[in-house]
Amino acid sequence: MDPISVRKEFEQNGTQWIFRTGLGQYGKARAVALQCHFFTADDEDEQIDDELRSCYNCQYRRWTMTSFECVALNKGIIK
Amino acid sequence: MKNWLICIDDTDDIGTKGTGEIAEEIAQILAEVSGGKVSFITRHQLFVHPDIPYTSHNSAMCFHLCSPLPQDEILKLAVAHLVAESAPAADPGIAILDTGSVFDASALIDFGRKAKSEVITKATAYALAEQQNISLTEHGGTGQGIIGALAGLGLRLLGNDGRVKGKIKLGQSDEVPHELSVADILAKTGLDAVMSTDEYQLKLDETVQLKGKVKAVYLNHKFVLLVNRDANVWCNASKQVLQHY
Repeated sequence: MDPISVRKEFEQNGTQWIFRTGLGQYGKARAVALQCHFFTADDEDEQIDDELRSCYNCQYRRWTMTSFECVALNKGIIK
Repeated sequence: MKNWLICIDDTDDIGTKGTGEIAEEIAQILAEVSGGKVSFITRHQLFVHPDIPYTSHNSAMCFHLCSPLPQDEILKLAVAHLVAESAPAADPGIAILDTGSVFDASALIDFGRKAKSEVITKATAYALAEQQNISLTEHGGTGQGIIGALAGLGLRLLGNDGRVKGKIKLGQSDEVPHELSVADILAKTGLDAVMSTDEYQLKLDETVQLKGKVKAVYLNHKFVLLVNRDANVWCNASKQVLQHY
């Protein structure tokens, strides 16, 4: 997935890039992470998906009440 | 020997050492210096809300220490490591409770519960800590971590919150299940029980198929391996199940 495609899975809210699909959608979170070159696994204690490569397990994921923010997009790591 | 509960929060940032790792190191230092014993570390998830600033996870890490060290020495050693290892952007806090002292456990538990669903101020946390004679100190940034540190103590006292830090290694692989009796699991891990998600406690001669990452939770004041039934066989619970703890 190229960076533009990754960005399409997120909605910009001010400076935050929020995962459109929300919480508990493991299939989508895995599909996006599989293609994202910037996936970096978070601490094992913070992972919640059994499949390692998942946005839900990524160090750049910060939870919100209904989804998560991709800090890699926010910080311009994914351009 | 005295018994203590020690909890830290808001020490990490993206790409830095995690709060759990720092808690583990503090626990090791305290145990080595005093010849004391430390328990498993529990991770307690706090409220995720736009009004609560957090560096990476908003989870507190708590452990039990049995040690002859006086409180000021525990605080000095723990804070030295906390300050040295916390991320520059973090807002670390530490709470230390002498569990043999006179304190209102229900007030602390209530605070811990609220911190999972409400925005709480530092002033409220400090006021409760003072009432209950708990050492509560901040060490950099906004010091916001004191709220989570105090809440983590309450949630540990509650006895029904949190996952145990780290993975349990019993020879299982990601692909091939490894079958062990409950008696073997308890003997090899130091856990207290093996329990299903609907709280049936497995008997010592029952068996469990372990696969992938095996983790424990803190349930009914016990360190518990959580399992569920899959095709009539007990299996370790998935991370997706464990995220609710």
